[in-house]
Amino acid sequence: MANGINELFDEVINRGLCAGCGACITGCPYIVAHAGRIVALDKCTGSEGDCYKHCPRTFFDFDGVSEAVFGKAYPGGEMGQVLEIFMARATDPEILKRGQDGGTVTSLLALALEEGLIDAAVSTRMDAEKAPHGSVARSRRELLESAGACYEVGFSLEAYRSLPAESTEKLAIVGTGCQVEALGKIKREPPQNSPDPRNIRFTLGLFCGWALAPGTFHPYLKSLCELSQVCKFEIPPRPRYSFEFHFENDREAGSVSLDVIKPHINSGCHYCWDMTAEFSDVSIGSAETFPGWNTVLVRSPRGAELLALATEKGILETRELPEEKLSHLKWAALQKKRAAVEKITEKSGSKNDLLHIGRPPEESADILSRWNIL
Amino acid sequence: MANIATLKPGSTCLLMGNEAVARGVLEAGAGVASGYPGSPSSEVIPALAEAASQTDIYVEWSTNEKVAVEVAAGGSFAGIRSFCVMKQNGANVAADFIVNLNMTGIGGGGLVIFISDDPGGGTSNNEQDSRTIAKWIDNPLMEPSSAQEAKEMIKWAYEVSEAVNLLTFVRGVGRISYTRSNVVPGELPRKAQPEAVFPEIWDRNNPRKSRFTSGPFPVFHAPLHEKLEKAREIFETSPFNSYTGPEKPELLIIACGASTSYCIEGVNELNLEDRVSVLKLGTTWPLPEKLVAKHLKTTCKVLFVEEMDPFVERSVMELAAALLPETAHLTFFGARSGHLTPYGELSTDSVIGALADIMGITYQPRDRAYEEMCVEAAALVPGRPINMCPGCPHRATYWAVKNGLSLDGRNGFVCGDVGCYSMGFAGPGFYQARTMHAMGSGTGLASGLGKLGRFGLDQPVLAICGDSTFYHAVMPALANGVYNNSNFTLLIADNSATAMTGFQPHPGTGQTATGEPAKVVELEAVCRAMGATVETCDPFDLPKTIDTLLKMMAEESGVKVVIMRHMCQLVKGKRKIAPSWKMHVDGSKCLADACGCHRLCTRLFGCPGLMVDGETGKAAIDEALCAGCGLCAQICPAHAIIGEEV
Amino acid sequence: MRPGKLEKEPYNVIIAGVGGQGNVLLSGFIGAALVNEGFMVSVADTFGVSQRGGSVASHIKISRKTLYSSVTLKGKADLLIGMEPVETLRSLAEFGNPGIISIVNPRPFYPSGGVAYPDLGEVRRAIERMSSRTSYVNVTEEALKMGNPIYSNIILLGAVIGAGVLPLGEESIFPLLAERFPGEILEINLRAFRKGIELVS
Repeated sequence: MANGINELFDEVINRGLCAGCGACITGCPYIVAHAGRIVALDKCTGSEGDCYKHCPRTFFDFDGVSEAVFGKAYPGGEMGQVLEIFMARATDPEILKRGQDGGTVTSLLALALEEGLIDAAVSTRMDAEKAPHGSVARSRRELLESAGACYEVGFSLEAYRSLPAESTEKLAIVGTGCQVEALGKIKREPPQNSPDPRNIRFTLGLFCGWALAPGTFHPYLKSLCELSQVCKFEIPPRPRYSFEFHFENDREAGSVSLDVIKPHINSGCHYCWDMTAEFSDVSIGSAETFPGWNTVLVRSPRGAELLALATEKGILETRELPEEKLSHLKWAALQKKRAAVEKITEKSGSKNDLLHIGRPPEESADILSRWNIL
Repeated sequence: MANIATLKPGSTCLLMGNEAVARGVLEAGAGVASGYPGSPSSEVIPALAEAASQTDIYVEWSTNEKVAVEVAAGGSFAGIRSFCVMKQNGANVAADFIVNLNMTGIGGGGLVIFISDDPGGGTSNNEQDSRTIAKWIDNPLMEPSSAQEAKEMIKWAYEVSEAVNLLTFVRGVGRISYTRSNVVPGELPRKAQPEAVFPEIWDRNNPRKSRFTSGPFPVFHAPLHEKLEKAREIFETSPFNSYTGPEKPELLIIACGASTSYCIEGVNELNLEDRVSVLKLGTTWPLPEKLVAKHLKTTCKVLFVEEMDPFVERSVMELAAALLPETAHLTFFGARSGHLTPYGELSTDSVIGALADIMGITYQPRDRAYEEMCVEAAALVPGRPINMCPGCPHRATYWAVKNGLSLDGRNGFVCGDVGCYSMGFAGPGFYQARTMHAMGSGTGLASGLGKLGRFGLDQPVLAICGDSTFYHAVMPALANGVYNNSNFTLLIADNSATAMTGFQPHPGTGQTATGEPAKVVELEAVCRAMGATVETCDPFDLPKTIDTLLKMMAEESGVKVVIMRHMCQLVKGKRKIAPSWKMHVDGSKCLADACGCHRLCTRLFGCPGLMVDGETGKAAIDEALCAGCGLCAQICPAHAIIGEEV
Repeated sequence: MRPGKLEKEPYNVIIAGVGGQGNVLLSGFIGAALVNEGFMVSVADTFGVSQRGGSVASHIKISRKTLYSSVTLKGKADLLIGMEPVETLRSLAEFGNPGIISIVNPRPFYPSGGVAYPDLGEVRRAIERMSSRTSYVNVTEEALKMGNPIYSNIILLGAVIGAGVLPLGEESIFPLLAERFPGEILEINLRAFRKGIELVS
């Protein structure tokens, strides 16, 4: 059976499942992202395509990808493979100022660049109008420019494509769950004409509940504020229930209720089961009730080494994650899985067909039992 | 092409039919010639324009065929022999004027229109038989069977036109217009043109008409039929009707135009000279009934050989019905019987097929073994799709349109038009042009489609036209769109020429048909004055062109115009403008079949200058064809096609 | 065939090629030279959109006695001048016969639109099998050596005249070249013409 661009559009994009990770754009001359959508410029004659193969919304072989990333089968549970859990924050005041929450991601990338562990970091960077794009940073300055969270879908794996196929640069790639899943698939089945995935030394995952669809959200955001003046977007922890935008200098921050924002959630995000980016080396998110701190999940030995180096060099300070916070995190991660399964079942029309996360009927039952939500 | 004004009378020259027609115009002493380019008629005006420096003839390319006939009729009204030329589609444009001109009659100078039809449609988007217009408006019609005869017939047509005071049609076909053959030029008139005068009102001493108004038509309609009967009388003894063959043939062929020689050759090939005769009719409307009736009495079987509509066939059968019972013994063969087709181009082979069937003969030009080899060879030979030339700006325009529409994502579409860019409906234009009808129709259709938002049409509407087409028929449609607040984007593919038909100048080029400087009717100024939003792009700047298209399509109302300006590659060649780039493929970067592009450059982009190297399997530049436009360097995803500036 | 002497009545010549290769230029030279030598000639070129990269052919019918229609009857061509191998074979399939002589430029002109070109060897074998005599002249290659593919037509014209398959000698062509290529460009075109003659001698 053919699994190419036509199937990608039939099964994923035209069905509203697209997560906006940008993996399909990687290495394909026919697929581009434009105005918040994935667009096929031409009819591709290939019957098999990396676009289909690497999409996180086509069949996801949990054990296969886990083997490729961690060298072992998928353990299941609320948060997948985890070695260590703690809280962290940057010690560098500049990074603390520019980065989101505790600035842990930017700190780790800066360290890796400085130590020569990587040559370039692929992440997302907002343009002057605060629209996200994939970007490649090769210096601390460029890193700081790409720091800070953007809540819109950014197709940012596209930046991996901009690197020449023959590139031998050592890379770190930052991404949300969908992007890290795509990278897992890429590691399992290397792409035709993008750099060798073995060059990806670190995958830094970002916690993500959902992202906003740029097609509708960006024009709305533009109507709210002068985007070029915004220096930071934030969704602060509960009980505040708002989307905030901060300005340079001391101008008062703007805020809208999340109820207004939620209709703009990218439809494909409802089918995501992966809040904590389970196939990364290190996953990082907000520490919620501890403002200015990040929650860090170390998943692989090479992730552990990087964190150890960061603490040793005094770049990060760490503290224990309180037990009740950990249970809340697990609960939230599981809620995401439950919600995804519900939406997926609704879409497929059958409890046995879980689309990308399990083909009927054995695999479906298998993944649900590993998540303890049977 | 030799200058037709300087040909030596009595010598033998190799002339194209269209050049022979032009020579006929000169020999007839016409003083005004006008036309609009359209194959297969396009070469007549250039031949006359070149001759204009040696003679006193006024020659122009008009903006369209209706204006062209009006210009020529003006000459006739003022007492000057005048001439007009067009292709079959042009006759429709001109018809609106002509259906009134039949009522008013012409002026003191004869008026002849040469219309070249296109059986087979090799160079047209329709295959109409324009002879019908002569019957429709009751004006005389003749059909030449060779280049030499075309020349003679044009001269004689002026005599007929003046004798009956009607416009006279000479109908050619592509095969007459484009065949080059022996032609013996005649003398050019020695005397100067009469003084041109539009006659004064109530000048009873002036024998010329002083009024050319088509109403009140009851006054003119009855005399028109009298004129037509007079033309019939003249045609009865026309030197262009002739008969060859036995006195009492088993089969009488009635043929006209280019088909005549197919009949003579077919009869010879089948050795039927003693059994079959050919009545060649040079004057086909009104039908010379006495002449035809005389020959109908000599035979029992009649075969009609004419291209496209059974025009003569029907006239003769109508006559036969009127002559009953004298004609009751006749059996008719032709389009009606299915022996020949009322479409497509005929040939000696098709006539041989009909003759063999009617006369019960088997005809086999080659032996069986050779036929088998031919079948094998035909199976080996691939089709060769037509394409835009290497370096053609339309390829860039359609690439931008294709990508722009994909990016826009609302299933936008392009209403096409008539010109080289018509190829946009197929692979060379990436299947982007979705309609093709008359000149200017793309814009008219877009004007209508752009109003359908109220019924839910939410796709962006685009139209495309060429620069020459814009002046020909797009301007009224554009005004209509602006006036009625339609919502569409018109792309004017301005390549600085009427490229399809041979690079004739037009109102935008700053040059007349005879090479004199002319005022430029600026596209931007005209469109802006009409109230459209106007942008100009060089389609070879793909990113800017695509951005402009997206911007225009995103506008929610109004008529937008994007002028895609880049000179036709063939015009560049003619003006010896050197290529901008020297192209090559970096073999280390082209991944061939291993690339995910699936041969984007040769399969999809499809410029003839690109090929697949037989040995390496990688993309390559065909040096014999590449025009050095540099566009392919912009589309290769692996950046393997490199252009070095020259 | 000697200049002025026609061996068959009528003598049917076809020039087969691809739109843009210049078959009209070639048929024009041959037609004009024949008229100057007193022959009755009809030259029909493919017109219309096929000129844009499609397959095209010029038919030349030569007679001492009468003007014929311009299109060759099926299976009745006497001489085939092939500007391109596949186009040569296309014309052979329709107009060929066991007596036909083919003079062919062996360089393929690839179709666009992703259409595959057949095996060249197979095409050549078919041409040879279906012709009484086949000569290949590498005119494009020679023209590229001279610096511009545009000269290939004139080289081919030289080859056709040199092969003695038309009732024309080189003297019939020289004045036409001089008329068509005034000034400095005459020299290189004469060189191209002589190159063609040399290729077949």
